[in-house]
Amino acid sequence: MLAAILVMALGAVILGAALGFAAIKFKVEGDPLVDKIDAILPQTQCGQCGFPGCKPYATAIAKNEADINQCPPGGEEGIRKLADLLGREFKSLSAEHGVEKPKSVAFIDESTCIGCTLCIQACPVDAIVGAAKQMHTIVARQCTGCELCLPPCPVNCISMVPLKETVETWKWKYPVVQLKQQQRVA
Amino acid sequence: MAESINVEVVYALPQRQEIIRLTLPEGSTVQQAIFASGLLQRFGEIDLDKCKTGIFGKLSKADTGLRDRDRVEIYRPLIADPKEVRKQRAAEGKVMKKGGGEE
Repeated sequence: MLAAILVMALGAVILGAALGFAAIKFKVEGDPLVDKIDAILPQTQCGQCGFPGCKPYATAIAKNEADINQCPPGGEEGIRKLADLLGREFKSLSAEHGVEKPKSVAFIDESTCIGCTLCIQACPVDAIVGAAKQMHTIVARQCTGCELCLPPCPVNCISMVPLKETVETWKWKYPVVQLKQQQRVA
Repeated sequence: MAESINVEVVYALPQRQEIIRLTLPEGSTVQQAIFASGLLQRFGEIDLDKCKTGIFGKLSKADTGLRDRDRVEIYRPLIADPKEVRKQRAAEGKVMKKGGGEE
């Protein structure tokens, strides 16, 4: 009888210690859900969703303060992924936040750029190289296509150039869309 | 604290932008970073006497000390003359969007 109680007590102590150790050792920093949502968002930092960037929007979604259909650059595919992750219904993109466009990067027309630095100040990802009265150039690899540099330019020398689909930029398309199209054709 | 710093050196052309990541000893200058990047050999047109340099959009002299994670930028001169562009726009009767009063 006493032996049995001791064995059970010993078991409880060992398991409790193991759980306590695991809680400290494998502690997750931050909110994993926010990170998962942030990973789906396109990281354009364009602010079209009404939040200052992708991470604040992800935080708002996780807190249920924002809907999942406010991200035009992410498009329908992004909304589908968010709906899957969060177990919510798919909704079409909310019109007030903008329309889905092909992924583009900004391009500066060098013959009209006057080196005013206004676009550099607007760029959320530091993708523009330039300084006062020096030529400004967009680093295409870092440009997210957020279009935030377009309105400040006083000479309208920035245009958006759609990206060509290359081996590096190609992504798996969400299969549901294509399956539906095939059904319609058949 | 750290004895070495990580910096980037950028030279940007419209169709091609080169970003070189470097690890340099602490206290390195803009000029040392540019020499270490090897961009001068790859782009013969860079003339450090004429091209200005800077860090993250701020013009900086060649002997400016670097901090960790700085981005050293080699600039190119403007093609358009800002005064000419302004004159043209004034002649066309367009309102400047910035500093032009309305809007």
